[in-house]
Amino acid sequence: MKINLRKMLFSWRVIVITGTAMLLSAGAFSQRLVQGVVTTAETGETLPGVNIVIKNTTRGAASDLDGRYSLEILPEDKILVFSYTGYEVQEVEVGSGNTLNIALKESKQLLDEIVVIGYGTVRKSDLTGAVSSIKSEDIRKITSSDPTQALQGKVTGVQVTTTSGAPGAGLSVRVRGVGTFNNSAPIYVVDGVILDDISFLSSGDIASMEVLKDASATAIYGSRGANGVILISTNRGASEVGKPVVTLSSEYGIQQLARKIDLLSGKEFASVSNVIRPGSYNNVDAVPNTDWQDLIFRAAPKQSHQLSISGSTPAADYYVGIGLFQQDGIIPKSNYQRLSLKLNNTYRLFKNVTFGNNITIAPYQRRNAPGVTYAVYRAQPLLEPYYEDGSFGVVYNVGNPLADLEYSNSYNNGLRGVGNIFAEAKIHKDFTLKTSFGIDAAYNKSTSFTPAYTVFNPDGTASQQDIEFSNLYKGSNENLNWLWENTLSHLKTFGKHSFNSVAGFTMQKSRSEYFNLSGRNIIRDERDFWYIIPPYIMDEANNINTLQSIGNGVDAGLYYSMMSVLARVNYTYDSRYIFTVTFRRDGSSKFAPENRFSNFPSFAAGWNIANEEFMKDFPVITMLKLRASWGMIGNEKISYFDRFSRVNSGLFAVFSNPDASYPAATYGKSGNPDLIWESTTQTDIGLEVGVLNNRLTGEFDYYRRVTDDILVELSTPGHLGNGQGQRVRYNAASVLNSGYEFNIRWRETKRDFTYGVGILGTTIYNEVLAIGGNSGIDSVLMGGYLGNGQPVTLSRVGLPIGAFYGFVTDGIFQNLAELDAYPHQSLAGVGDLRFVDTNDDGKINGLDRTYIGSPIPKFIFGINFELAYKAFDFSLDLQGQTGNKIFNGKDVVRPDPYNFEGYVRDHWTGEGTSNNIPRPSFGGYNYSPSDYFIQDGSFLRLRNIMFGYTLPENLVKKIKLQKVRLYVKGNDLYTLTKYTGYTPEIGGYDVLSNGIDNGVYPLSAVYSVGLNINF
Amino acid sequence: MKTLKYFSILALILSISSCKDFLDIKPQGELTQEVFPTSPSDAQLATNAVYASLRNWHYHSGGFPILDIMSDDTHKGSNPNDALNTVGPYDNFTHTATQDGLDRWWSTLYEGIKRANVVTEKVPLISMDTNLRSRYVAEAMFLRGLFYFDLVRAWGGVPLVLTTTPPLKVPRSTADEIYEQIEIDLLYAVARLPERSAYSSMELGRASKGAAKSLLAKVYLFQNDFVNAEKYALEVINGTEYYDLEPEFAHANSRDGEHGIESVFEIGAFELESDLGNQYANTQGVRGTPNRGWGFNRPSENLRFAFDENDPRMDATIIDLGEELDEILILGDGTTPDFVYDDNGNIIERECYNQKVWIPGSNTASQQGHNRRLIRFADVLLMAAEALNENNKPGDAHVYLNKVRNRARGGNNEILPDITETDKNALRDIILNERRFELALEGHRYWDLIRTGKAAQVLGPLGFIVGKHEVLPIPQNEIDISQGTLIQNLNWN
Repeated sequence: MKINLRKMLFSWRVIVITGTAMLLSAGAFSQRLVQGVVTTAETGETLPGVNIVIKNTTRGAASDLDGRYSLEILPEDKILVFSYTGYEVQEVEVGSGNTLNIALKESKQLLDEIVVIGYGTVRKSDLTGAVSSIKSEDIRKITSSDPTQALQGKVTGVQVTTTSGAPGAGLSVRVRGVGTFNNSAPIYVVDGVILDDISFLSSGDIASMEVLKDASATAIYGSRGANGVILISTNRGASEVGKPVVTLSSEYGIQQLARKIDLLSGKEFASVSNVIRPGSYNNVDAVPNTDWQDLIFRAAPKQSHQLSISGSTPAADYYVGIGLFQQDGIIPKSNYQRLSLKLNNTYRLFKNVTFGNNITIAPYQRRNAPGVTYAVYRAQPLLEPYYEDGSFGVVYNVGNPLADLEYSNSYNNGLRGVGNIFAEAKIHKDFTLKTSFGIDAAYNKSTSFTPAYTVFNPDGTASQQDIEFSNLYKGSNENLNWLWENTLSHLKTFGKHSFNSVAGFTMQKSRSEYFNLSGRNIIRDERDFWYIIPPYIMDEANNINTLQSIGNGVDAGLYYSMMSVLARVNYTYDSRYIFTVTFRRDGSSKFAPENRFSNFPSFAAGWNIANEEFMKDFPVITMLKLRASWGMIGNEKISYFDRFSRVNSGLFAVFSNPDASYPAATYGKSGNPDLIWESTTQTDIGLEVGVLNNRLTGEFDYYRRVTDDILVELSTPGHLGNGQGQRVRYNAASVLNSGYEFNIRWRETKRDFTYGVGILGTTIYNEVLAIGGNSGIDSVLMGGYLGNGQPVTLSRVGLPIGAFYGFVTDGIFQNLAELDAYPHQSLAGVGDLRFVDTNDDGKINGLDRTYIGSPIPKFIFGINFELAYKAFDFSLDLQGQTGNKIFNGKDVVRPDPYNFEGYVRDHWTGEGTSNNIPRPSFGGYNYSPSDYFIQDGSFLRLRNIMFGYTLPENLVKKIKLQKVRLYVKGNDLYTLTKYTGYTPEIGGYDVLSNGIDNGVYPLSAVYSVGLNINF
Repeated sequence: MKTLKYFSILALILSISSCKDFLDIKPQGELTQEVFPTSPSDAQLATNAVYASLRNWHYHSGGFPILDIMSDDTHKGSNPNDALNTVGPYDNFTHTATQDGLDRWWSTLYEGIKRANVVTEKVPLISMDTNLRSRYVAEAMFLRGLFYFDLVRAWGGVPLVLTTTPPLKVPRSTADEIYEQIEIDLLYAVARLPERSAYSSMELGRASKGAAKSLLAKVYLFQNDFVNAEKYALEVINGTEYYDLEPEFAHANSRDGEHGIESVFEIGAFELESDLGNQYANTQGVRGTPNRGWGFNRPSENLRFAFDENDPRMDATIIDLGEELDEILILGDGTTPDFVYDDNGNIIERECYNQKVWIPGSNTASQQGHNRRLIRFADVLLMAAEALNENNKPGDAHVYLNKVRNRARGGNNEILPDITETDKNALRDIILNERRFELALEGHRYWDLIRTGKAAQVLGPLGFIVGKHEVLPIPQNEIDISQGTLIQNLNWN
């Protein structure tokens, strides 16, 4: 091998030498050497590693440790380009001399940064909206199937909740609080294509993400901007012609259960059982002890690999990426893998016209673990997992989770293709016309199969885990969404005036359909037989596929058309005063013709104070900008048929003897043809500061969002005949979100030492301002259902959305006298929780349930450190939130004797023994939803810690590589929290069910090693 | 600039030509109400849909047999904690206007009325076989009358809705106005419905002339119009259509008697846990082992000991623990105490179940196949007896009363002797008692006590308050939503 490598290197050299020789022969007589020293303009220190390129060529050099460089120059070489991170790029004419010393100026980087905004870009200094950016380095620090996770603790105003540790699981993302009772998720725009999620994207393909938060930034997305917009730009080839850049990133990690829940051991459970039912276990020392968590959870690998090639030729630039993400779950049998292929090209084949494509194709496969965490949490620890003969032991009430795992087979696989082709014509020196046609195509198939099996009781009878017939479910859904956008941009500067404007016309259409069927009694259990094949014989005796159900229809949320016009004018005067006006008019098929169109305007202004004459006296202040915006944006994430009065055709009459069914159909509930868009009015005031050459920067924002006309379902009078519990959607609620955001960062480079620290935070105040039905059940919205269907959140005017409600407890009844002296339910006894008679009516009943906490954090924050010294780099990111509560829903639902959380050890045993943990019981009175089950959801999490080492350049160059970096990393290694569950990050299936822990797939800590190579 | 021009033209054309179509999306796979029902088959679908309401769990007094629970015949049932705060209050008359179940029953009855109104309003406009069309409308009228009869008995005067597009606010009509409409509907049905025997065997269960007359008799009985009650009850008994009692009492409600000679109107149901089953029976089925249901509507000690000690109907009405039914041993529920005693050691409740909903089997699915008999011939006979007594024809009354007792005897002439009482008041009480024994747990007792004025005396000890508990409170959320249009019943505020 060694010899071969040498040979290879040798042959490389031959090529290089031959190439050089050819160049030499071309200009043998006129070449000359230019050399010099690069220093900083500010301090005069020499700068090593400065990149020096001869303009319009690929030839160049880098300065050495003493800042020296030397270059061979040909007669046609006129200009040298000096570039170095953190410094302004300088172009210098070669002239005739042989020495060229250069002093580079530190760049006012933030000012010159280009920020991607909707339908365009703008210089950061000309931006009037509240936009947070995150760059690719930060995106790659977090290895996740969904790149959105990288936003956690990195940008202000955004709360990203990892609601499940399951491989490939989704995230809950909220921008500036919870703005509606409906879908509160932001939209994503990937290279101009509007999407609902970006779980298909590989982090390695992303160049930057920008979060648009205020109305000035989001109004250009009109009816879809109300809950924020996340813009993603994927990697493209370099804009300057150069040789291909090949990069390889590879990471391998091991995941481990981050926290175990403290549950009772076998002996402890037996002891508590003896308190509840005396004499249950004669010898508590003799009972078995099974730690179900240890039996189920395992260490599991997670890996990510990304290879990309990018570059630019005079005719085209290109980026080709292939990424593989593979994650096994810490629960056996769960895993996720995704391949993503990325192809971004721009072609310059005609004068003034470029065209190109951005395409991602991502096939994936996910295997889902059965809901074993349910059984693991509840299984009694004194039951043995297996009998002596090796068969599964019975686990009363919840089933044996090991058997669930053994017999569960649930797969999802599919393909997501997202992409667009675009053409851009510079039709005039100031005008550019762009058209882009994009599609988002998704196909997903799910398969689940459970064989017939039985877990037996010790006496040989079947336990409740008794599946009589194997069953097979197959489902598929497909969605095709196309978007055609046409914009005309205008960019012009004359005198002190500068315009950056855009106008456009867009059309979008989304279609969807699902099919599913289920059968049972499949002829064999092996995967090769997981098909539902005719003939469907309803006679089970024949041991042939028996068809159970068929379903077919459209996904109502993904069936719509939209048509819009949009415009934005950004005007800057003298780099001091900036004005932005934005307008969008959207039409949507989801609304009746008379309500179909709606307008979304916004206005914003900015003042670059630092550029004023009077600020010249304060050179320490590099940047100071004040900005303010106001606007209206909408939300239309409802299903398309809410406005229709439909016919209910799934009915049957039953006549005859023996019974015969007769199909039936009649009017369903009335629709509401008067529905209009939800609209959010948002005001934002922001201040951006940079001092000491922007070594210290700060960004501060105040926001206030009021969402009106929120679509909520209200009861209708019974006499309309809509039926029991049927509600009709109305525009009938308002919600306020307001707060402050700050982002302060210090970053400094001294020679080969760079360090930085950033701290950012967001406060959230959420309040329901109105709920439409002004009486009875419609003055509140109940939701947040526990496992037994009991609602524990209640939203009403004056409270946050989805506020928890239940009894308030006040200690424990210590003795009979205390019990008799206070109103109590008949079921309450001495040693039980005392529920407070909140309405003072002398009775404890449902009316005493009240507000007991909010699931919405008051403050979310992140703290980030970075450190680099020569070849070493280090980063550490902390993230957290405070002020929110968690409802421990898994503990409260106890219809049967389950295991207990560890706190039960300290239960009340007699007068004065405890005033906070009641006497134990397997369920009943003490498990009425109350603040006893409310826990503090605050946490501080070590999101990322990374230590990297870049191999010395001379060593790397020897193997013909550009850069090699090795790193070790830990994600989610530690969480500081008082919460007793697996993770304090609890999402919910809708905004009314946030923060209720009904049992989650636990989060894992990940230890990884990785490698980045630039070829 | 040329490109711009083309582009603008293109955009303009697109926005003008396709805007309307592009944004117009019809519901996929679903009809809208503007286009249904419009064909003969639509007419049948719409008519069948009214019957589907009868298997809606909430149709049966909001899901729970609260009417029996409010009587002296039964208690809440299930285990002591189950639905203690939701169904429990009906047992001791502490229910309120927000009580669980009231709103479900109310809105489900109106849902049935809306379905009937779809037929009465839209089907006459369809061109089709006129006989069939008139039958469909008559079936819908019968069912609408049935729904309003529940509404008026439960709440008194209620909003009267006879179209598919009522206004948002409709005030309560008086009870008399509701009864008037019920009579109109049922008289229409009597005139146009075929007799039961005119239906094919595949359509047994559709409303018939006999069912309409029987219901009409009952409607008159509830208004103390004994002349008309007698007229229609006797028309059913003496008419050409053959109805009779099942030879065996138990078959009057069991699977053996489904759509049999005693069945005047019944609700068909499959033995399935799906839309085709009826959870009415599952709610009352044996709890525990075998697992047939939830065990609500537990027969009271009062009912048990009210039966004549030799009356075989007691055993056919109550399932006791240890009993074997259709070769299935009844063991009952572990979380339900076998006996509950008062402070003096007397049994006040024991674990037992409603046998009238029993269907042979050992699971919950089969239990759902019980065909609830809404009107059976024994009821018609007793209605006739009651009306005849009120119309001073005790001799005629004896004929029908003793016919019921004769069947109950099961061939044992030692028991349940014929009634010969001629004193009107005494005979009235005897007939009321006979109704209790014959029709126990079938949802009649509470209303029989109310309409005969016996409720205060019988139910007073259980918490019944005169002037209040004759009706249920209007569901509070209906009052709230109506914003003052609906006025609560007297003494319920």
